Order: sequence, then C-alpha cells, then structure tokens
Amino acid sequence: MKLTERQSDALSELINIAFARTGAALSDLTGHRVVLNPPAVAVYRAKELRGALAKFVPGDVASIHQVFAGPIAGDALLLLNYEGAVHLTDLLTDGHKPSPYLDESAREVLTEVGNILLNACLGMFGNLLNVHVTFSVPRLHLETLEELIASTTSDKTELHYALVVYTAFQIRDSSVKGFLVIVLSVDSLDRLIQEVDAWEAQQSQ
Amino acid sequence: MSSQAKTSSKETLLNAAVLHWMHDLAAQGIVTTDSELNVVEWNHWMEEHTGKRTSEVIGANLLDLFPELTQRRLDRHYKWALEGQVRVLSQALHGYLIAMPPVSGDHGYAQMQQAVRISPLTHDDRVIGTLTIIEEVTERVAREAELQAQLEDRSRLLSNEKLARNEAERANRLKDEFLATISHELRNPLNAILGWAHMMRLGTLTPANMERAVDTIYRNAKSQSQLVADLLDVSRIISGKLRLDVRTVDLLYIVNAAVDSIRPAADAKSIRLQTMLDPAAGPISGDADRLQQIVWNLLTNAVKFTPKGGRIQVKVHRVDSHVEIVVSDSGVGISKEFLPYVFDRFRQADASTTRIHGGLGLGLSIVHQLVDLHGGTVAVRSEGEGQGATFTISLPFVGVTSTQPEIERVHPTQSDEVITFDGLPSLQGLKVLVVDDEADTRELIREVLKECGSEVITCASVAEALVALEEHKPDVLISDLGMPEEDGYALIAKIRELPRERGGEIPAAALTAYARAEDRMRVLRSGFQFHLPKPVDSAELVTVVASLAGRAYKT
Repeated sequence: MKLTERQSDALSELINIAFARTGAALSDLTGHRVVLNPPAVAVYRAKELRGALAKFVPGDVASIHQVFAGPIAGDALLLLNYEGAVHLTDLLTDGHKPSPYLDESAREVLTEVGNILLNACLGMFGNLLNVHVTFSVPRLHLETLEELIASTTSDKTELHYALVVYTAFQIRDSSVKGFLVIVLSVDSLDRLIQEVDAWEAQQSQ
Repeated sequence: MSSQAKTSSKETLLNAAVLHWMHDLAAQGIVTTDSELNVVEWNHWMEEHTGKRTSEVIGANLLDLFPELTQRRLDRHYKWALEGQVRVLSQALHGYLIAMPPVSGDHGYAQMQQAVRISPLTHDDRVIGTLTIIEEVTERVAREAELQAQLEDRSRLLSNEKLARNEAERANRLKDEFLATISHELRNPLNAILGWAHMMRLGTLTPANMERAVDTIYRNAKSQSQLVADLLDVSRIISGKLRLDVRTVDLLYIVNAAVDSIRPAADAKSIRLQTMLDPAAGPISGDADRLQQIVWNLLTNAVKFTPKGGRIQVKVHRVDSHVEIVVSDSGVGISKEFLPYVFDRFRQADASTTRIHGGLGLGLSIVHQLVDLHGGTVAVRSEGEGQGATFTISLPFVGVTSTQPEIERVHPTQSDEVITFDGLPSLQGLKVLVVDDEADTRELIREVLKECGSEVITCASVAEALVALEEHKPDVLISDLGMPEEDGYALIAKIRELPRERGGEIPAAALTAYARAEDRMRVLRSGFQFHLPKPVDSAELVTVVASLAGRAYKT
C-alpha cells in the first residue's frame, strides 16, 4: 500500500498538530523550548520495517511502546537509538544526569516523553475517527530492532502495515532524531486513510 | 450450582481477594477515584505515608484533598486520564505527585521521590474513573546519583592516570634528550683536550702553540669538571643525599665572592657588572658553599645569555623577614612559553639556544633545589625574548633580636666593597665567656669581641669556665669542643644541669674544626645553639654572639 502525495501531506499535517502539542507539553514540563521537526510520513509493510529502520538503529534501540485497542488497534512506538535516548534524557533533565548509560530514572523520563507523544498522536487519531481507543501502560525496552519488531502485538498471520513518522526533537541547540512507528492492521490503516481523505476534503473546501 | 455460577462466584472471590491485596498488602500507593475524581479507594500504604485515614478521604474530591495538585498543574493528568489517556509521571521531571515524607532513610530529599502512573478505568468504552499507582523511588534515585558520582570519579581517575602517563612519557623523553646533550657537552671539551694532547705528544708544537695547547686543555678540563660537578649535584638532589652545612653566614661576603669569580668572564664580554648590597641584609642561616653556588650559577647564566656590552645587576636587600638576592640582566630574555619550565631539570629553552649557548641546562634546576633546601623561594621574571631576565631569590632572615641595638638600615648603594667591620652589630654591654685551651685562639676571639664593645672573660678549661660562669654571670658562652681532660660537650652538659639563676640557660656556641654535618648535629643536640667552624671568621663570630645574646636558652 502506498500513500498518495495528498494523503501523505494530510497525514503529515495531522501528525504535526499532535507534534506541536507534544512540543508544547515538553516545553512546559522542562522549561526549555522543545520543538519537534515537521514529520515526514511513510507507510511500509511490517516486514519491510526492519530494512527501513536498520540504518537509523544499527545497535540497540530504545523504544517506548504502547499497545492500543478498540475499533482501531495496534502498536504505537517511539524509537530512539541508544545515543539519542541518552542525549534526550540529558537535555530534558538539564544535564542533571549526564550519564553514558540509561539508568532507571532516565528510562522513566523517556517513558514519560514517549507517553506524551504517543498520547498526542493516538488521541488525535481517535478524535479524527471519532472512536475510543484504550491504551496499555507505556513500557520502555532496550533491544535490537529484530527483537523489537518481533515484540509488536500484531497477529503475524494478518497483513500489517507500519506508519513510520520521522521527526527530531529540537532542544537547546541540540537535535535528537527519532521515529514514531504505528503498526496497524490493513483494516485499521484503511479506516485511518479514509478518515484522513475525508478530513483533507473538508479542509480544502 | 451450575458451573457458570461456580466460576462467577470464584471470580467474585478472586476479585475481592485482589482488592484486599491492593488495600492491605501492596507496597505501592493505590488510589482510585470515580469520574468526578472523588476518592473510592485509598490503600493502607497511602494511609501510612500521608497520615490521612481511609475513612477521612473516601468520597472526598482528590483535588480538594490536595490543592497543591492544582497549584503544580498536575490536575491536568487526571483530566487526560478521564479522556482515556494513560499518564506517566517520572521522578526526574516531577519529583513527586503527592507530598509525603521519604521513608527509606535520609537521602537529602525533603519529599518522598515518586514514580507515578495514572490510568483511566473504563467500562463499556466509557471512562468511569481513574487509578493512580505511586511507587517510592527515593532510595533508587539516591543510589543512581551515587553510582553516577562513582562513575565520574572513575573517569576522572582514568583521565588523571592518563595525565600521569603522559607526564612520565614526557619525563622519559626529556631524559633521552638530556642524555644526548650530555654526550655532546662532554665530548666537546674532550675533543679539544685529546686533539691538543696528541699534538703535544708529537712534539711538533712551537713554544707559542705549546702555551696555547696547555691553556686550551686546562680550560676544557675545567669546563668538563664543572659539568661533572653539576651532574653529581643533580644526582645528589634527586636521591635526596644533598645535605646542607647550615651555619650563620654573611650573605654579602658570599655574593661578593661569587661576583669576583665571575668578573673576568663578564669583563671578557664587556658586560657591566653592578652590585647594590645592603649591609643590613645579613646574616642568614645557610650553607655558605651552596649559597655561593646559587649566586654563581645565576651569574654564570646571566653572563652566558647577555650579549657583549650588556649589563648585569646584583642586588641584595632585606624585605621584611627575608633577604632578597636579585640578579637581573639585559640578555636574551625568556619567552612566555618557556618561563614556567625555566627551573625544570633536563629542560632547556630550545634546541637552537642550547646549541648557541651550550651547557646542560642544569644550573637553574640546581639553583631551585638549593634555594628550596634553604627554605627560600626563587622566582623568574622576563618581559619576553630580548627583554632580559630577572631572578629573585628570597631567603629567610635570621634576625638579630630587638634587645640588640638594631643595625642601621642602609639604603642599597652601588658598591663593590666587601662588608666592613663597621657594619657589624655592637656588642656593647655584653659579657662573653670564652673557653679554649689554645691561647692563640682565646686571644683572637677576645680581641674581635672587645673590638665590638663586649667584655670578655677567657678560660682554658672546663673547671675554670664553671667557676667563671657563676662569678661573672656572662651573657654568652663560646666554647671550644676539643680540650684535654674535659671537652666542650662535658662543659655544656654540666652547665645545662644548672638552674637558670646559676647560668644553666646561657646561650652557647661551640667552636670546632670538625665541619661535618654529623658533628654539627651532635653539637646542637648536646645543648649548644650554634656551631662556629674554625678558623673563626670575625664577622661570623660577632654576628653569632649578637644573635645569641638576644635569646635565652630554653629546654
């Protein structure tokens, strides 16, 4: 499945609204201006995901993972490479924990950040689709990309797609790159894209 | 009972058990509210840590119970939870949700540090309430901080170690360079010596060339012997074997001697050598030979690095409790970069300077070490290359105490004169007991001391001295050590046993021909305050007597 240019633009615009909220929430929380770069959106088949992300995460990947269920269901993840995860924590905590590794407190900060971002995006989709989605408690994992992809809840027999949103957190002259990945079933993705089309049509009227 | 009913009642029982566990046993704070945020469940852990009883809070609104939630804008998380979002509150970004005292010991936190999850409770896709789970993380956070500090320490240690290794490598490299320089410096005079010696053996030299050969050999052998002496000094300093033969010495005399010895070299380069010596600068306590070496090294250096027609100035003056020797020249100066390393062993400004000027670059390092051993300091100042250099040595002054008429401070004037007898302290009104079996020495000392105004009682033996001590009540004792029957050690031992009013605390100096450090130690341990080497130097004798008269012996 490929997104048309208009669909891709519309989806980017929607996610950008969620990103703006995330940026505002993080700025509020940390007292530093946090901006999330405008997202670039692409859709991959779940099995292509590894190839698509391998370049970005050659080693361990830190993921904040929330499962969502309801009329649309799937896995939402914020992916950061290890260095990015450490750097982001440092930036958000004012460098109080300039540590080369992620201790429990650092992991918790990342979990909260991921939680804010995932809530903003999925909440926005929920509003758009006018459906109620329930979330699991977010979990942070450090694992290889393979392990991560294997851990998504999606039924392996069904065809799944991954909405991959590239972004970067801009904080205090620094930039931390990351990916938002939403793994959806074909049905869920279809439904989402229909709603995006409708929203786009409504916007352009 | 149907199997379904059975299952259902089992579920009910289990649910009740879970609720019981959550309330009574959970090691986290658990709070549930309805969709209006009125408290429904407040577990035992919350009771215990907030001091609020379950009965007080059930039914009350959470935001009313804890107004600080709204003040700290944490109420938003409940709003979001009611919209269906799960919220995470990390300790690092929030600290805590509800203020409670920390449980696990004193980790420097006024409030218990918490990790919090706030979740919506849903039924049929509808949010009917919230669930808050609070976990104490105070100890974990403190432990992480400790670990962090340890990691930082370790990385600091690692970088220190790296620095030390670099330093060691640098020292090694300097030693290698030094060895290369040393071979070069030792070979140069050797070439001249061997070359001329060879020609002398051939017997073909004219008388004029013969004279030149002897001169050259002599000069080169002398320079080589100086190199060897420097090397030996450095080796003694490194191994801690350099001992100072400390006495009260006349600094002006020493400086003048050094100036005199360097004058021919300065004259040869038409360098003007000026001295400005303040007679009030002495005496100081130190090793005369080493002090002379210090001044001589500085002067040699100054002559070496000052071009023809230049100027060198030597100043000695008193600054508070110190005596300063200042040697300044109009020479090549020292670059800012090299200034901090001037006194380093094996360090020379740069290869080219070394080549032009030769030498091992040990002189200043020796100066530094010797000044250190004297309890003084040496500093260098230069405005840069071509701007000349000034070396300042500061040595502690051995005061002639205030009971003595103070030497008139003389403004440093340009003078090349050796200090005169007139500059010595007056001994007016002092009674000095001199004990020596040799009549000549006794008489010499008597004359010198009388010249300075003191009354002198002389004795030839210990027995006589003890009688004179009680009879004349002298202020100072000068005694020879080596005497027949009873020696100076016996005398001082007997005196020190006497009570104060019978002269037991009289300040005393020993005269001896033995100048070794061990002898001096024995002299001082036996009860003398000073050690005067034979032959007696008049100025030193007077200075010591004056100095001794100013202080009483104390055990």
